[in-house]
Amino acid sequence: MDLNVRIAGEAGQGVQSAGNLLVAALAQMGLHVVATQSYMSRIRGGLNWFDVRVADGPRFAGRDRADLLVALTDPAREILGGELADGGVVLYDGASVDGTVAIDFEAAAEEAGGEKVMANTVAAGAVFALLGCDIERLCDYLGTQFKKKGDAVVEANVRCARRGAELAGEHAGRFQAPRGGDAPTTLCNGAVAIAQAAAVAGAKVVTAYPMTPSTATFTHLAAVADRFGIVVEQAEDEIAAVNMICGAAYAGAPAMATTSGGGFALMAEGLSLAGIMELPIAIVIAQRPGPATGLPTRTAQQDLAFALHAGHGEFVRAIYAPGTVAQSYDLTRRALATAHRAQTPAIVLTDQFLQDLQTNAAPLPDEPDPIDRCILTDPPAEYARYAVTDDGVSPRAIPGGPALVVCDSDEHTPDGHITEDLDAHLAQQDKRLRKFDLLAADALEPEHYGPADAEALLICWGSTYGPCREAVDALVAAGQSAAMLHFAQVWPVRIGDIARAAIARAKRIVSVEGNATGQFAALCRQQGALAECELLLRYDGLPFTADTIVSRIRP
Amino acid sequence: MNLAKADTQPAWCPGCGNFAILKTLKRALDTAGTDRTKLVLVSGIGQAAKLPHYLEANVFNGLHGRALPSATGIRLANPALTVLVTSGDGDMYGEGGNHFIHAARRNISVKAFVHNNQVYGLTKGQASPTSDVGFVTKVQTHGVISGPMNPLALAIVEDAAFVARSFSGLADHLHEMMVAALAVEGGFCLLDILQPCVSFNRVNTFRWYKDRVRPIDASHDPHDRAAALDLAMRWGDEIPVGILYRSRRASFESQCPALAGSAAGQH
Repeated sequence: MDLNVRIAGEAGQGVQSAGNLLVAALAQMGLHVVATQSYMSRIRGGLNWFDVRVADGPRFAGRDRADLLVALTDPAREILGGELADGGVVLYDGASVDGTVAIDFEAAAEEAGGEKVMANTVAAGAVFALLGCDIERLCDYLGTQFKKKGDAVVEANVRCARRGAELAGEHAGRFQAPRGGDAPTTLCNGAVAIAQAAAVAGAKVVTAYPMTPSTATFTHLAAVADRFGIVVEQAEDEIAAVNMICGAAYAGAPAMATTSGGGFALMAEGLSLAGIMELPIAIVIAQRPGPATGLPTRTAQQDLAFALHAGHGEFVRAIYAPGTVAQSYDLTRRALATAHRAQTPAIVLTDQFLQDLQTNAAPLPDEPDPIDRCILTDPPAEYARYAVTDDGVSPRAIPGGPALVVCDSDEHTPDGHITEDLDAHLAQQDKRLRKFDLLAADALEPEHYGPADAEALLICWGSTYGPCREAVDALVAAGQSAAMLHFAQVWPVRIGDIARAAIARAKRIVSVEGNATGQFAALCRQQGALAECELLLRYDGLPFTADTIVSRIRP
Repeated sequence: MNLAKADTQPAWCPGCGNFAILKTLKRALDTAGTDRTKLVLVSGIGQAAKLPHYLEANVFNGLHGRALPSATGIRLANPALTVLVTSGDGDMYGEGGNHFIHAARRNISVKAFVHNNQVYGLTKGQASPTSDVGFVTKVQTHGVISGPMNPLALAIVEDAAFVARSFSGLADHLHEMMVAALAVEGGFCLLDILQPCVSFNRVNTFRWYKDRVRPIDASHDPHDRAAALDLAMRWGDEIPVGILYRSRRASFESQCPALAGSAAGQH
């Protein structure tokens, strides 16, 4: 059982509110859900949609087609109504149109004694009925959701939900959604998981210039800032944002900036600064299609090569690419920890698809659990910030203690002062680059999913985890021999024995990437991890789905 | 190649105003009783930006133009540190012009001592944002066309905590201004320090400044913003030096919930 409900309409019409209500109500029944969003870069008008997928087992991505389209406008009905799954139904917000279930949601809300804004609740009630779900469970959810607003609001919403279900009439039970399940009853998306991880890990200074699709991470940090004691500052530009976190990191605070590709471009010099000053900073890049302003609200995996090479000169970095909401949390924490251990920048590379993807998740940790800042607490009087060491890591003191901490964006002597002594430069550059071994040893091996002896092997990284995993399931169910390797860390690239064996055995290797040039496949070839491979690319701004992958892999 | 012996400090020309500023800053820090272990000197790039290397203090010598955001980050991480930016007019008003406006607007507790010699020294003599109209250089071959930036007026308009000007040739006056800036408890402090560049500015020489600087009359009320702006607009035969403006606006840190309760140390 696997149903996809697509709520579609103009920006500003409440598509997102209706979707959030529906997905939360279904999740609290223990059903497995995945919600994804597709929206335009505008505050009013256009055509946006919000998919709520409900299934009898874990799902990891969206689907191309909807079983139930809730069309709030004519364009939504006309454009998306042609892309229904077999047996699909259109629930249309308005007067009767042939072939649709028509309910005027606003009028129904007012008939039921509710406000116009409760049209969303009417819609949710009708969807519950069409899905064959128990309307009482929706009413229960409304009771908890609107409790703070008082009994009158709860009761009005409950009446609206029941009215929606009534108006679905004979169409009730058109679909048979699962009755209940054992999934976590709460939800999380990638954006919040990253933010919460940073807060719990002890980030104390977080900066950004607002930029889609990273902004939701920044706003969640602002929401929890007072409780966790975080300074969340909206910088005048991304150049200021990155230089602020460099200053904060120097002074000892775990520090992070959030941005997207264009903003990261402005941070490139600051990244290089963190490289030579050996500052532990974390940068979250939520990708969207470029070049330049590109498609601001769409998804892409186009900035891998940029994240890898950004910043002039040569210095080491770690780049993580979460594939799931859970990994968004884990890898953000890991990025901060790695940055501190190796005293160098760490990047979390996510994208619009995963930032906005909501799925069942147990509540995230909510108490401070700070990472080790790796700070020298009792520096000697003759402290040298950049002492040359075997592993390249110089014991790091912070200003304000007994030792003076001197650091410079110019090449410097071990005590941090500017130098043009070329021998001193070589000693420092070699020292900094030696930290690569530390990062490589600590790098994550790819996750192998599927049969060990698969003939077709999908290679993926970052947010394509979900669609690829579902594609493997579908291919295996259809009797094909397929598996996948997912890289949650894309630099340094670490292959490991399991992946090496899988690559050696596979007859067909396909790199699945959200870009037009196969950036990760090229990186793997450059690293000697792969020979030739096929590329399965999507770069129209929409996320991969299992369907798109399966149709290309099937012989 | 071992060039350590050729790389002796300092990197300034004989007669450079930076020497006087460095000497006076050392004296002012002693007068103010600044604990050097709690002092962070922040700079960008340029000849003035090398000053932190010649003092006993914590140092963050960052990117060109970016001293103020880094200084801001240091204050946000640890409000117990005294954060003093010492950098030049190109660094602070040109490359970092946007940050300058926003640091003043934020009223972050950073003290900016700007060495203003109206010329780019380290890149050998191009115009700076404060060069006067008509100033001829190898780039501005017909003379500077754009009008000079007025950093003091900008800082007053943005309601910075403390706005003052001095001259490297007035050691006692400069000392007094530095001590006054160091004494400000919270908020953004701008001390614009006029300074001759003996190698690349043959117009605004030591004598040129010496003949023009006039201490602000004792009757001036620095809390009078209109009067302060009037002083800031004066430039030419007479250049006012002294404390132009003081704001009573609360500092950024004192209003930031995560910092308000932790002024005693790192939060």
